[in-house]
Amino acid sequence: MKSHSKHLVWALTLLALSLPFAASGNKFFAFVLGMTFISLLWATGMNLMYGYVGLMPLMFAGVAGVAGYAMVHFTRTLGWSFWLAMPVASLLAAVVGVALGLPSLRLKGFYFTLCSLVIQTVLTLAFIFFPTYTNGDTGINQVAPPDWFGGELKGLGLDMSVAIFAVAGVLFCAWLVKTPLGQRFVAIREDDVLAEGLGIQVVRCKIIAFFIVSVYAGIGGCFYAVYVGFISPRAFDVLVSMNIWLYVAFGGRATIAGPIIGTAILAPIPFLLQDLQAFKDILSGVLIIVVTLLMPGGIYGAYLAWRSSQSRADSSSNSDKVQEQRV
Amino acid sequence: MTDSQLLILLSTLSTGLILGAIFALVAAGVTIVYGCVWLPNASNGQFFLLAALVAWTFTASLGWSSWLAAIAVLVLGVGLSYFLEWILIRRLYDTPNRNVAYFVVTLGMTQIMTGIFSMTYAKWSDQFSLPPVVEGISMIGPFPIPNNRLFVMAVSLLVLVALFALLRYHPYGRALRAVFQNREAAALRGVNVRSIYRLSFVLGSTIIFLGGILFALAYSFDLTVAWTMSITAFAIMIIGGPGSVMGALVVGMTFGFTQAIVSIFASPTAATFSYLGAMLVILLFRPNGLFKR
Repeated sequence: MKSHSKHLVWALTLLALSLPFAASGNKFFAFVLGMTFISLLWATGMNLMYGYVGLMPLMFAGVAGVAGYAMVHFTRTLGWSFWLAMPVASLLAAVVGVALGLPSLRLKGFYFTLCSLVIQTVLTLAFIFFPTYTNGDTGINQVAPPDWFGGELKGLGLDMSVAIFAVAGVLFCAWLVKTPLGQRFVAIREDDVLAEGLGIQVVRCKIIAFFIVSVYAGIGGCFYAVYVGFISPRAFDVLVSMNIWLYVAFGGRATIAGPIIGTAILAPIPFLLQDLQAFKDILSGVLIIVVTLLMPGGIYGAYLAWRSSQSRADSSSNSDKVQEQRV
Repeated sequence: MTDSQLLILLSTLSTGLILGAIFALVAAGVTIVYGCVWLPNASNGQFFLLAALVAWTFTASLGWSSWLAAIAVLVLGVGLSYFLEWILIRRLYDTPNRNVAYFVVTLGMTQIMTGIFSMTYAKWSDQFSLPPVVEGISMIGPFPIPNNRLFVMAVSLLVLVALFALLRYHPYGRALRAVFQNREAAALRGVNVRSIYRLSFVLGSTIIFLGGILFALAYSFDLTVAWTMSITAFAIMIIGGPGSVMGALVVGMTFGFTQAIVSIFASPTAATFSYLGAMLVILLFRPNGLFKR
């Protein structure tokens, strides 16, 4: 990576971390910003799976829900600290994600997606019909904010920790996709038979990917629970999985900037449409269709295509530039 | 056999036949479109509900008879299918791996229709039912059954038989099955593949609309029926074998009877759980389903 883009990464990181301070004057903006950061964490995890490994995991929100409910159970019933409960719940969600995903690893394309949709539906039904841990359809309200050295982490402190986790998630993803493991993910996406033939252990890579992605989902789920203070099966249903998918596809899959752009544009919309929640469903449905039919590369993908066509027009010798931009 | 046992048996039988025929119809609609166009219609449950709700609007607001409403909905349904084919579906005919793209597009359609329904019908009522087509009650031994349900049962079974005959003996059905088996070879033999795609989408969607009307005539319904139907239709399609109409019929009937029996002893959710479980097992161990296409 060139040095000026390294500076750009640092500048963007600082900018992202300073946003909670800028928004701290207005409770509503601060809340929308925090929710956007949580969505960004989710979108980055989804991008790893959908963008780089090439599988569309529609059980993503369900896995996040497992972590959210587990975290609430640990802190409320067992009296653990949030900072212990969150990693344990996320690991639990990752184990559940891998266990549920394991049998489906043989499947590809539509069959994998359908299988993940079925798993998501089973998880949603389980959230409703096993009320011991989930309080059923009513949901659990008044989830306590994280503890912080005897007190409670609220306001700017909570906003900051959400922002830090989201930025760390994006940076980890950006680092991971450049490692040999990340390159293997891309190889599997492009042609898993060829990848197998080249000596890549496809199933092992997919399991690792599943694990990492489920940890992303889980951490996001835990923060969602403490940030909103209320969780119910509807907070983790298939529409949420589709929305997270849309952030990635709309922004641009398999790029680091894509999910950031997609989340920044789309995640705040439901909060600006307070009284028109049903309209949000219609809007995201329309966007899903438009993205699939008209711009499969998303906004950032379209920008990259435009830029590479520009640079090709300038000089034909810079062909390696395009390669670099994809990462 | 005592009277009460006979009563339970007959009621299970009638519910099983009606539900089974409707499940089989909708699943046949989904599986025809998937087998031919490679389009897994995730919004089939919304189509199903749309037909039922529009029929309800015609009868409740405009005061039409159920006959007239059913025919009007079918005509509108054919129109809507052609429109969707023209504006959305045909754009992906030549895309490789288009089944994932179609799945996503139809999930988008599901969201749009869910949003529209919750902005409109959800505010007007939470339980919908159509006036019966036929009045009166017949007695089968000790078991009273409304003539209306007998009528729905007869129509559903007739439509299933007609559909089967169409696919087996009509030239269009033969062309459709040729495209199922090998679209390149079918194209070489002079079958216009794109027009068969269009016809299949319209036929499949219309069958789903018809299933929705029949269900609305037999039972009262609410908005949650859409998602249950989507899941059930997909489960039937996967278990029966994607693209296998025979599989859709057999598994659909089985599911109908399962639902009828399970709902006597346990909640309908138990039935949904068992469909999901059965679908997962088939997906994982026998992705081509139980029946040849």
